[in-house]
Amino acid sequence: MTTSNSGVRRRLRRTSGWGFVAPYLVLLVAFGVAPALYGLYQAFIVTSVVGPSTFSLTQNFSDVLTDYRLPGASLNVLLYLLAWLPALLVIVFGLALAIDAKRTKFAALTRFVTYVPGAVTGAAAALLWLFMFSPQVSPIGGFLRLFTDKSGSFLSDQTFPIVLSVMGIAAGAGGWIVVLYGALTAIPKDVLESATLDGANAWHLVWHIKLPLIRSYVAFILIVSIAQGFQVFVEPTVISAGAPGQVSRTWSINQLVYSYATDNSNYGRAAALAILLLIVCVALAVFIIRKTKFYSIGDR
Amino acid sequence: MLSLRAGRLGRNILFIAAILFFGVPIIWLLLAPTKSLNQLDFNFPLSFGSFGQIGIAANNLFGYGGGLIWTWMLNSVWYTVLSVVLALVTSVPAGYALAKLPFRGSNTILFVTLVTMIVPAAALILPLYLEMSAVGLTNTPWSVILPLTFYPFGVYMIYLFTINSIPSSIIEAARLDGASEFGIMMRIFLPLARPAVVMIAFFAIVGSWNSFFLPFIMLTSQNLATLQTGLQILVSSTGAIGGGNLSNIPIRAPEVALAAIISILPILLVFIFAQRYLAAGQSAGAEKG
Repeated sequence: MTTSNSGVRRRLRRTSGWGFVAPYLVLLVAFGVAPALYGLYQAFIVTSVVGPSTFSLTQNFSDVLTDYRLPGASLNVLLYLLAWLPALLVIVFGLALAIDAKRTKFAALTRFVTYVPGAVTGAAAALLWLFMFSPQVSPIGGFLRLFTDKSGSFLSDQTFPIVLSVMGIAAGAGGWIVVLYGALTAIPKDVLESATLDGANAWHLVWHIKLPLIRSYVAFILIVSIAQGFQVFVEPTVISAGAPGQVSRTWSINQLVYSYATDNSNYGRAAALAILLLIVCVALAVFIIRKTKFYSIGDR
Repeated sequence: MLSLRAGRLGRNILFIAAILFFGVPIIWLLLAPTKSLNQLDFNFPLSFGSFGQIGIAANNLFGYGGGLIWTWMLNSVWYTVLSVVLALVTSVPAGYALAKLPFRGSNTILFVTLVTMIVPAAALILPLYLEMSAVGLTNTPWSVILPLTFYPFGVYMIYLFTINSIPSSIIEAARLDGASEFGIMMRIFLPLARPAVVMIAFFAIVGSWNSFFLPFIMLTSQNLATLQTGLQILVSSTGAIGGGNLSNIPIRAPEVALAAIISILPILLVFIFAQRYLAAGQSAGAEKG
């Protein structure tokens, strides 16, 4: 093959690369980038109590940052992340590796059962979890009663991060187990076989072969999970809807965002807080990408 | 030998613990429609009520609004099917090309994709509504279907699968044989990527089927509602959860539990069907060379 010929091919390849991505790119701009940019613009529009809205680069951000509810909500979210994220990762990785280690029927059943709670959403999830965490009617009532206060209620500020973590793990672990299991089954068999022939045991395989080979998935799961944790919304909303008065409606940062938008119709503040939340998540994502050399994997 | 047996025992204990943790809430949910409201509160939580009670709950649920729930179900099905097909057609080639046909700016597209995935939904929903209303699509099925076709998670999963599991040598060999780039994707890549495609198809189905805020914001007509939004409206308008149901519409906890089972049943069936394909990925390594 001549040089000019391969140059044409390379150009053709680049063009078809664009062609394959183009339809998705249209959707990315229309339903991802454009709404996000509009949200960013909104963060600079200040809603006044009287008179027309004004433009300010800093007003909404400083209003949001000095809201007396923000420190409490931030602390709640941090406590939740500390309880939920490590437990989620241990359960997801532990189960996915165990299910992959020997693909029995029992393992397949476990994978199925771990997924089911995640399929329950909305009103159904509210019903399910309210009953689960009401000591009088819960299947684990005997266990919950060990922690109830004088009024017989289980929910309190101390137990709330734990309750949310249990919900978050039950609803979220199964999906990641499916993803991780898929990644593990895609590891070529001969790689594992030759390592076994060299005397590697099951633990060596996990630490030195499997986890390094799927590290890009690990980074991806970390990035998305951290963002989900910072943006926790559904779980506290469900619980506070069912137990009015026991739990604040602005328990988490994201609930505060919704409260600005729905209770006060102040979209500028809602957008400003959402963007601050996003900045934290993107900063952590960039950190993880750097640490795991995420994008260099494609170069090998 | 001993460690092998210990390993198996440990694994089985882990599985049993997981099945208990994830399964007990589901068993409770499956049993809930067999009981009356009174039985739910006072009988043993994991007890079985009666089949007759299921019939009562079903009558109450399906009788609401003259069988409105059937309309919601049908809506959910066709919104989901259409949005999932469009999401796959756009995201699979994109993920593949970003991994194997890189061009200037492809890493930027990947990063922007990742960022849109972690943008708080709260920041997007109002701009999306304004966008749809600007083109006159609000309160039409398209206002729900079109945003759901944007599927960054699918793009990322296909990208990760491709860089990790599809050797460039296969693609190179096909190129030397004179195959077109489109032909390579269709005939070489897609068969190898089937587990990944099935997986993202499954998650797309779940995402569309369970999407709540989008139809909730976009659709005002009751006849356009999906199963999720319909049920939510039904439940909140009757106060069936977390408050006394003071209306005379007979929707209470057992009916909601039955509705929950009906709404997750399609997902579970799809999961069981997809399960066979999720672990088929041994071919990628075997065919290299």
